Amino acid sequence: MIEAQPEAPASFGERLYRWLDARFGVGKLVEFARHKEVPVGGHSMVWYYLGGTTLFFFTVQLVSGVLLLMYYQPGEATSYESIRYVTAKVPFGWLIRSIHCWSAHLMILSLVVHMFSTMILKAYRKPRELTWLTGFLLFAIALGFGFSGYLLPWNELSFFATAVGTDSVKSVPVIGQWLLEVMRGGPDVTINTLYRFFALHIVILPLLIVGILSGHLIFIQVQGMAHGMAHQRPDRPGLRFFPDFLLRDLLLWLMCLIVLAVLVYLLPYGPGIPGMEWELGKKANPLAPAYPGIKPEWYFLWVYQLLKEFPPHLLGMEGPQAALLVVTVLMGIWALVPWLDRRASRGQPSPMFTDLAIAAIIFMSYLTLKAWDIGGHGVPGKLPDPRSTAWACAWITLGLASVIAVLRLLAYRQRWMYFSGAALLQVVLNGILGMDYLIAGGIALVVAIGGLVVSRREPAPQMGVPR
Amino acid sequence: MTAPLARTAKPARRSLLNWLLGVGVIGWAASVLYPVLRYLRPLSEAGAGGPLKLSAEELATLGKSHFVIARSGTRKVIVFEAAGELRALDAKCTHEGCTVQFVPGDSLLWCACHNGKFDLDGRVLSGPPPRPLVKWIASREGNDVVLTMEKA
Repeated sequence: MIEAQPEAPASFGERLYRWLDARFGVGKLVEFARHKEVPVGGHSMVWYYLGGTTLFFFTVQLVSGVLLLMYYQPGEATSYESIRYVTAKVPFGWLIRSIHCWSAHLMILSLVVHMFSTMILKAYRKPRELTWLTGFLLFAIALGFGFSGYLLPWNELSFFATAVGTDSVKSVPVIGQWLLEVMRGGPDVTINTLYRFFALHIVILPLLIVGILSGHLIFIQVQGMAHGMAHQRPDRPGLRFFPDFLLRDLLLWLMCLIVLAVLVYLLPYGPGIPGMEWELGKKANPLAPAYPGIKPEWYFLWVYQLLKEFPPHLLGMEGPQAALLVVTVLMGIWALVPWLDRRASRGQPSPMFTDLAIAAIIFMSYLTLKAWDIGGHGVPGKLPDPRSTAWACAWITLGLASVIAVLRLLAYRQRWMYFSGAALLQVVLNGILGMDYLIAGGIALVVAIGGLVVSRREPAPQMGVPR
Repeated sequence: MTAPLARTAKPARRSLLNWLLGVGVIGWAASVLYPVLRYLRPLSEAGAGGPLKLSAEELATLGKSHFVIARSGTRKVIVFEAAGELRALDAKCTHEGCTVQFVPGDSLLWCACHNGKFDLDGRVLSGPPPRPLVKWIASREGNDVVLTMEKA
């Protein structure tokens, strides 16, 4: 008679796993996780971490935001006062607010770098079009978070930033006025606007972002991360996600947290760059004039500068309306890139879209530098001079663009530079030769279209040829 | 023979039902959406643009900083003294709606948001504003200053 060997008693964890598996089939998920890999080779691994860091800062935003909510009281007599109370009286209140502000900026920074790297590496190409599109929507929502959260302290800075930002929606055809009043809760920015922005900031946008973010993440799980284009080697084993990549992710997040803590401790009110500071300042006063040097957050600066560059009237439109039409068209092109870039969707190199991203960087850098009035403060006490600002900013942009161009030529052997060349031409014509910004832009546009036509006639580059 | 008849009659009945269902869904969505859209648009505030008398406090600010911004209903008016003459204009910049200020040294009105400049009659001197500022008439009545909007 053989006695049954008593089995070693299963641990609690094991029993819990079996219990769950019997009911929900968790085993399949574990099996999936075991095979999940991150592609190796083709390009630097760095670019695979940026979505994760964005997600990390978003989580910090959720936690710190909920903590701020414990003290914040929206209202004419309480918004500003409650934020002042949080920062001045509540133990570590300054810390929580500073974390919320710093992490917001770092989240957008991480998101922007993530988006540009996805663009340049063509990770949006078939079959990942919807991952790009949901990512674009997440970007738009992140900007909405920044914009709506800006008003909540009800201080002078936020008041005018919101006045300008919301005023621009009146340019929307047909429903502009309706939209303006719905956003503001009346014809002007009042405390009613704050109530609406509060609802937007803490309920509507979080709900939207959770929904769209889920889609974005599910797409990535289903399709996996994109391989590099030029050196695609499907046979090469990737890096295991669990635990190899995840542990690297966690280490990076820990480093992000340390950077955040150091920044928050050293510069609790931001680095003091216009568009990146959150000193509470004076309470909003609707009857005070806008004060000199008022600027929106750094990621809106290029639009702010564009509004300044446009003349009062253009082609039968008012200046702001034309400027916002341009911004809308550019954003539309950006959102539809996976469908416009047909070469990449066929797996062929598409240097044109790499160059489009570089052109976007040049275009926005120049406007942003100008918005900071760099080089314009010649005489103390006088307003910055736009001419000398343009001169200095053009040279800085030219330097930056040259470094990028040399790097592309030597390290990546990229030759297609019609778009970035056109963007740089506009910078030179406007900043160095003093031509009107829009005329320079028109000339640059003609050059870009010319380059597009010329390169269409050339045969498509083949796989294996350096991009 | 009923089978062929049923086969021809069925799609017609089905498409009618689909159509009715579609109309019903659209009607339902519209009846939900309409009240929400109406609810979101705030009621318009009354009492805009009537004659306005500056308060003692506003007069003190005017004397001290050469200009003051007053509210008339939903409008904001900037009152300033240039070359001994009292003037008033809409304070809301026609570009993106910031509040302008009077710069006594340069005898102009300036909007700090996008560097729009207006002359003392509200005409655009430079910068992106597309339209002039609406003029108001500022008159002294005894010790008071009364503002009325200029008829277009």
